[in-house]
Amino acid sequence: MARRRAVAAVLTAATALSLTVACGTTSENSGQDNAGAQESTCGGSDGKYTIGMSQANVAEPYRQRMDDDIKAAAEQVPQFSVEFADAQQDNAKQVSDVENFLTKQIDLLIISPNEATPLTAVVAKAYNKGIPVIVLDRKVDGDAYTTWIGADNVEIGRTAGKYVAEKLLPNGGKVGEIRGLAGATPAKERGDGFREGIKGSNIEIVQSVDGDWLREKGQTQADALFKAHPDIQVLYAHNDPMAEGAYLAAKAAGIEKNMKFIGIDGLPIPSGGLKAVEQGRLSATLIYPTAGKEAVDTAKKLLVDCQDVPKEQTLKTELITIDNAATVYNEANG
Amino acid sequence: MSSDVTTPETGTEPPPPKTPGRRTEVVAALFRFQSLFGLVAVFVVAVVFSPRHNGDLLFLNSDNLFNVVRAVSEIGIMAVGMTFVILVGGIDLSVGAVLGLAAVGSAVLMVDDDFGVAASVVIVLLIGLFFGFLQGMASALFGIQAFIVTLAGMQIARGLARIWSGGQGVAIAYGDGPGEAPVSFSLLGERTFNGLVPIPALIFAVVAVVAIVFLRTSAFSRHVYAIGGNEKAARLSGVPVVRVKVIVFCICGFLAALAGIVHAGQLNQGSPNDGFGYELDAIAAVVIGGTSLMGGRGTVVGTVAGALLLGVLNNFLGLHGVDPNVQLLVKGLVIVVAAGLQRLRPTA
Repeated sequence: MARRRAVAAVLTAATALSLTVACGTTSENSGQDNAGAQESTCGGSDGKYTIGMSQANVAEPYRQRMDDDIKAAAEQVPQFSVEFADAQQDNAKQVSDVENFLTKQIDLLIISPNEATPLTAVVAKAYNKGIPVIVLDRKVDGDAYTTWIGADNVEIGRTAGKYVAEKLLPNGGKVGEIRGLAGATPAKERGDGFREGIKGSNIEIVQSVDGDWLREKGQTQADALFKAHPDIQVLYAHNDPMAEGAYLAAKAAGIEKNMKFIGIDGLPIPSGGLKAVEQGRLSATLIYPTAGKEAVDTAKKLLVDCQDVPKEQTLKTELITIDNAATVYNEANG
Repeated sequence: MSSDVTTPETGTEPPPPKTPGRRTEVVAALFRFQSLFGLVAVFVVAVVFSPRHNGDLLFLNSDNLFNVVRAVSEIGIMAVGMTFVILVGGIDLSVGAVLGLAAVGSAVLMVDDDFGVAASVVIVLLIGLFFGFLQGMASALFGIQAFIVTLAGMQIARGLARIWSGGQGVAIAYGDGPGEAPVSFSLLGERTFNGLVPIPALIFAVVAVVAIVFLRTSAFSRHVYAIGGNEKAARLSGVPVVRVKVIVFCICGFLAALAGIVHAGQLNQGSPNDGFGYELDAIAAVVIGGTSLMGGRGTVVGTVAGALLLGVLNNFLGLHGVDPNVQLLVKGLVIVVAAGLQRLRPTA
């Protein structure tokens, strides 16, 4: 008797589920009608606007700086108040963060997605609701956003590659690579660009490992890398924290004098890449602007000044070596 | 075919049973439904202290409430399976890794190997079931502690996920061509009934209902409680302990794989690093739901309430923009309080 009731329950539940799925769900039903209804968002200079900033992982110094830059820039605009969310490198959490922002009915969304594909749907949801979306640094798939602001990661990788090919290893040599989080677009782009930059030379990338943008992980991965390939001459890391982690790993093994370290970001903070180059730990870094200030400027154009903005805004980068590290640092903090 | 288990008294006569007063009855009821009361209490707090916008209580916004359920659906499905394992006195630390493995499996089978939705789902579910089966056998038949077995299982599942996916996330694009998954799989990310009820929430509801009915009515469930209450006595009275234990691990692995399929469908990606730490959230939901980690006491209803309580809590803190590290702190405190309340429970 009990078993029959259980079976009946299972069958009823399964039938109910199939019916609801069959009848109730299609893409048409889930509110995709408002594609690009962006006209109503500009309220002029009289309005007060709430901006939601969804960050991927504040534990990365670059992203903390991005949030700080946004906060500083927004303080200059009296109509703006900004709320920050941190997904702690968890895609599902970032989806919830954006959903909460939508519940709170923000006027504009700034997002730096942890990974492109998982965040695409929820960003599109916001965009199709008529909320302007500014995507920073990392991309989402498709084009359901207002504007993307970032630097050209392929160009950055290429510049790093050329620097290694022309200045560090003009006669060829061995390079080890520590990559950023795999699903985030900058990692692929910085890797591809580097390979373009060293094309035609005698440089060989002996191994690539994943450091996920984090210093600790960069250190452990570098340690393994150096043990497997003790003859690496240049270590190319996709960001400064991982490059510093690799430096620490090499120092622990006593081999830091045998190799050169390259990172990317060049943050003008005491623990950032500029200081690391100045103090000789890194041989070079490339400035990767946080785009925080540009994001707020764009938001002002969209919400207050009622202007259009281009779909992509590419920011400039700069190669930093011991020659210009100190000057650039002082300028940025001047 | 289970008989009542009686433990032989040693020495003195058992004390005469106290006639339960009204107060003790109320207290006992409070504890039996502690998770439901907890859920109601947290819900009320969330409503009262909800942020407002133009006079509307944002927390009660229908989209928001469904967001809450959607966000706990995967943990909830895993927690239902975990309830069975904890009821027999075991534990399963591998569910988060199995979720990652299942997510990767779904993505790779559909995108790289061009399997259909039905075939991929069946294969992935069977993988989860088989993984649970192996863990159950190691734990029940060979007597290795469940903690150790599933800790190892966690590493093995992670490794398998990384190998199967080539170390990186496999993005799921939808369409009819090669390298694309069937569009019907994307239903998992949709909402039905006028775009309100998320499909993962429906799946969670179905899983919960089936489990609740099953645990209330079947002979199997009586075995589960018997083993959790006193394994030796259960074995002596003819309960097939090894078989029951293997089956509950199978259930847990199966449901973890189901959660992984839902995860891949929601995020449109199968990443080998997903589900990290989810096992702790699942266990938290079970504990908050009033199930004892010693086994023998607890319900799926409680687990569902525990999962929803965590969901409401996360949502409430998120709407108020509370630092995620503080959210972790609060979650930990809630777990301790819930477990502590279990100790105060009057033993019936």
